Amino acid sequence: MTVAQIVFILLTIVGLGAAFLVVTTRNLFHAALYLIASFFAVSGFYVLLEAGFFAAAQFLVYIGAISILFIFATMLTRTVRGMVPRNSQWQAALFIAVVLFIAMVAMFSPISFSLPIRPDRTFGGVEWQFAEIPGKPGVLRSVPDSSILDFGRALADLNQYGIALLLSGVLLLIGMIGAIWVARERKPREILAERARMAAEEAAEAARQSVGAKIPDVVVAHDSHH
Amino acid sequence: MLNGIPLYWYLIVAAAMFCIGLYGALARTNAIAVLMGVELMLNAVNINLLAFWRYLTPESPAGLAFAAFVFIVAAAEAAVGLALIISVYRNMNSIDPEKLDLMKL
Repeated sequence: MTVAQIVFILLTIVGLGAAFLVVTTRNLFHAALYLIASFFAVSGFYVLLEAGFFAAAQFLVYIGAISILFIFATMLTRTVRGMVPRNSQWQAALFIAVVLFIAMVAMFSPISFSLPIRPDRTFGGVEWQFAEIPGKPGVLRSVPDSSILDFGRALADLNQYGIALLLSGVLLLIGMIGAIWVARERKPREILAERARMAAEEAAEAARQSVGAKIPDVVVAHDSHH
Repeated sequence: MLNGIPLYWYLIVAAAMFCIGLYGALARTNAIAVLMGVELMLNAVNINLLAFWRYLTPESPAGLAFAAFVFIVAAAEAAVGLALIISVYRNMNSIDPEKLDLMKL
């Protein structure tokens, strides 16, 4: 067993164990902390995959920003303790999750009906073409040194991912503005004014719809009065 | 394979993390916990994208670009989702998804 395999197994235990605790614990604040542990393990997987930039981005974006958002939301909504851990449909949810997992693992498993059984490379009925060094089966080509440079150029190139990058910037801007607008604090006076405006609009709508039925009402009222 | 780790190890771990996140998103009684499940699912997707990038096309930036866009969308989704949850809590004093039935006929 190589060192990388041992590290992988440790990361798996930490990542999946923390993920399991995220979805089962009663204390929402603890769930946020377990979520951080799970993000940390995923960052370790990125290091094992030689994607150092994404390991750093995982730290900055997930552990640094998204976890803090979760902790703030937990504290702002005062729902930290006493949460019922499962709702009424949890058995159906568990069934769906387990069946989906078994189906996916069955797809990954190196059993195929059309191809000879070759572990490590045949799953989903496809024999995958790994980036191997010619003449050395099982040894992958290394990531080129200019990988991150190429990645940055591809993101900035309008013929590759430039438009998508610009659109994702717009998405983040709209997300930020929308988040501020949706979660803004409103003064009670503003809320009351809005409710009064909505009530006035509803009354006007009701009056417009029942304008034909109003005259007989008045006539009946007039008759009964006499 | 890479340092003795075959590709399907990553795929199985990502599948397990995705299914745990799916269970969390379906079975929790708190909207913040539901969003945590969604984040776990997005992380599982990212592990898959980067594992396929490393094992199949390490020379191409395509896998990295897709993983980066998943990051961006996850960040925007978390910000907007948590803002919505705070707004709902202000108006209804509860963020149990089963109790949020204002739009039911």
